[in-house]
Amino acid sequence: GMIILEQNNRILYDLLEMKFNNAKEGNKPDLVDVRFADFDGVLYHVSNPDGDKTKLMVSISLKFFRELQEHGADDLLRREYGSAVLPSPESGYSVSLIYDLTALSDDFTDTIMKVSSLKRHCFASVFEKYFEFQEAGQEGMKRAVIHYREDETLYVEAKADRVTVIFSTIFKDPDDVVIGKVFLQEFREGRKASQTAPQVLYSLGEPPMELKDQKDAKVGDNVGYITFVLFPRHTNKKARANTIDLIHTFRDYLHYHIKCSKVYMHTRMRSKTSDFLKVLNRARPEVKVEKKTITGRSFNAQ
Amino acid sequence: MNKTGPVQHWNLGIGPINCHAWNKDRSQVAVCASSHEVHILEWKNGEWVTIHVLNEHDLPVTGIDWAPETNKIVTCSQDKNAFVWTFENKTWKPELVVVRINRAATCVRWSPLENKFAVGSGDKLVAICYYEKENNWWVSKHIKKPIRSTVTCIDWHPNNVLLAVGACDFKNRVFSAFIKEVDEKVAPNPWGTKMPFGQLMSEFASKGWVHQTLFSPSGCRLAWVSHDSSLTLVDANDTKEAKVHCTPMLPFTCLRWVSENTLLAAGHDCSPVLYAVANGDFKQVCKLDVQSAQQSTTSSAREMFQSIDKRATSAKVDTQLKSLHQNTIMQILAHSGAPNNVVKVTTCAVDGLIAVWDLKNANAQVAH
Amino acid sequence: GSKRLERPFLKAFRSCRAIMTTTLQPYLDAVRVTLEAALCLEQFSSQVVERHNKPEVEVRTSKELLMTPVVIARNKQERVLIEPSVNSVRVSLAVKQSDEIEKILTHKFTRFMCQRADNFIVLRRKPIEGYDISFLITASHTQLMFKHKLVDFLIHFMQEIDKEISDMKLSLNARARISAEEFLKRFN
Repeated sequence: GMIILEQNNRILYDLLEMKFNNAKEGNKPDLVDVRFADFDGVLYHVSNPDGDKTKLMVSISLKFFRELQEHGADDLLRREYGSAVLPSPESGYSVSLIYDLTALSDDFTDTIMKVSSLKRHCFASVFEKYFEFQEAGQEGMKRAVIHYREDETLYVEAKADRVTVIFSTIFKDPDDVVIGKVFLQEFREGRKASQTAPQVLYSLGEPPMELKDQKDAKVGDNVGYITFVLFPRHTNKKARANTIDLIHTFRDYLHYHIKCSKVYMHTRMRSKTSDFLKVLNRARPEVKVEKKTITGRSFNAQ
Repeated sequence: MNKTGPVQHWNLGIGPINCHAWNKDRSQVAVCASSHEVHILEWKNGEWVTIHVLNEHDLPVTGIDWAPETNKIVTCSQDKNAFVWTFENKTWKPELVVVRINRAATCVRWSPLENKFAVGSGDKLVAICYYEKENNWWVSKHIKKPIRSTVTCIDWHPNNVLLAVGACDFKNRVFSAFIKEVDEKVAPNPWGTKMPFGQLMSEFASKGWVHQTLFSPSGCRLAWVSHDSSLTLVDANDTKEAKVHCTPMLPFTCLRWVSENTLLAAGHDCSPVLYAVANGDFKQVCKLDVQSAQQSTTSSAREMFQSIDKRATSAKVDTQLKSLHQNTIMQILAHSGAPNNVVKVTTCAVDGLIAVWDLKNANAQVAH
Repeated sequence: GSKRLERPFLKAFRSCRAIMTTTLQPYLDAVRVTLEAALCLEQFSSQVVERHNKPEVEVRTSKELLMTPVVIARNKQERVLIEPSVNSVRVSLAVKQSDEIEKILTHKFTRFMCQRADNFIVLRRKPIEGYDISFLITASHTQLMFKHKLVDFLIHFMQEIDKEISDMKLSLNARARISAEEFLKRFN
């Protein structure tokens, strides 16, 4: 099936659900110390702060968090998570949230959903900021540059009538450039199928015109630039959350589908190769142990 | 369509058979199954039973010949060696021949008088081997010039002196293999008068590698098949010019004169074809073969599923060729009758079969 | 039934070196008859190196043991090179590649198969230059297997590889289109 990547982290969600339920049922809280990774080099750590099993701490590490802070990430996280945000995060992490397992609200599903979307909310600040600029008609603001992965960068810029989001991405394998192009062509044409979609443009090898003043923008055969032109219909307050949900997963979505295509092709090649082998095997005589006796048959002189 | 009696055939179960040789009374056959071993089988209680395995070569055997009168077998191999085997005290005793070649031996043939034999070689020469009584061993003399590639086939003229030699240099030649130590003086014949050892008597160009060359029973005619799917005839009594008969078939690998005027040719098309000499050329008489072989249509469920698993088909029938032999025929030998009136021939092939073909009715067609 | 082509033994290997036919069936027929002829192989020991038995079409030490190679082409891209010799024949295919995608799919597929050459005993580990995939068939193979079925296999392969590559391309395009549409339609 065509998977739309989830906004939240499934492992984090399941872990929190189990721990919260356990606490709610009045069971003895157990020791938690789990670390795991997400896309974009993101790491999570779920633990008991200072060994206190009644409290659960969720920490996230993003290499580019400092850049997000420049665009108001701290304020946005306080807005979303309130007092759960630790003033100074766990050492080695960007943000830490703390929950008291003895004081959980009765319906904690929303909390779990929100905590497991921590990464999304970290990203959200930069988009929200520029959506606001556009809404307020503020032009000429400095372009946001977020190095969201090693060698891959996100650029956000606002005009009075649009917000331009540009991803640079790297295709590791030369074949991925070609396969990626097939996908990007379809993204470019996608507006034909849904009128409400943002305009998508791409360029391979070098940055688009909009980034010509961006001296550090990467150039090379394996570099791709994808531009989303978001219109007020995508940036307004009502639509914004949905737009951020989608756009912050775009890079992973694209690479995920390129990878799936390759896996599929591999499966197909394996099966076709096995078919070819079967046809070749038809050339091998069936090994039959025949008795070395006379088998008489008439022959014709034709 | 004439019924010509049953074709007896046996799958010896030892893999592709590239050559075979019969003993004098046809009760035993020596075969080489593309390995370093020669199997000698005997007809016992309605079955071919391996009674001896000649195991002296260490690379695949390429030629076997069984002398009817002396009952000696000669074998040669890719390992550059030849052995003469003598049956003594119920076993076959090998004697190494001093062939003195540095590449594979490709074919071997006793002379009609069985006092010498010829070995063709990848060393671009033919070794003529004879027994040196003083030293008690088989020694050889070489015919080299002007052979420029691997010798693929040889055949003795009935006079025990002339030797036809086919090679990969696209030539078929007739040499004198006169060995003064063993041969009497020979009478002049249509191929020439002076015949010192190694003398090139005739040379004919061919458009492909020569696969087999054979003198007719009288020795006056020479026929050969080559890789360009042709069959060529030279008549020494006539113009001595090569008459090339092109066929639309895949190349022949072997042939056999069955009378002074008829011969069988066979090869990659898997069916023997009978030709007659008419006006200095060959004329196809008929193709010998069994009717479209019907394979058993019943197969066990297990066989069927195995087949689906391995070949992606449950059908068994479509792998069969319509001929008796299912792969290239490698050799045709006379089985019974006189040299100029062969009644039965045998074929061996890559499919592992040996077949006996009765020619009575096929020959009858020549008259019409 | 289809008109049977004359076996081009003399014709193909001696007088002309290239056969060109644009429609599929005559193209395949020409390949078939040429292969039937080229597969008439025999065991042959080296006349250069002692106790060696190597495919002459690969070692190429004796000119007279090699036949004139034949190219059968359907167009500039799709062609078969058949190089016969006394004990082996090399069959190389150039597969139709009309765009970048077909090119990488062809490359991926042929590389995938070559990595499994041990199972595919007639497959050459590396294609010869200018071709996408090469087969090396020796006299040992034709002893072990039915020649007519080997020919069937090669023809089947030629037909199927084109089909498979274009099917793979179609499914890649479909996946790309659906994933783009799914993503974009969620904007409102």
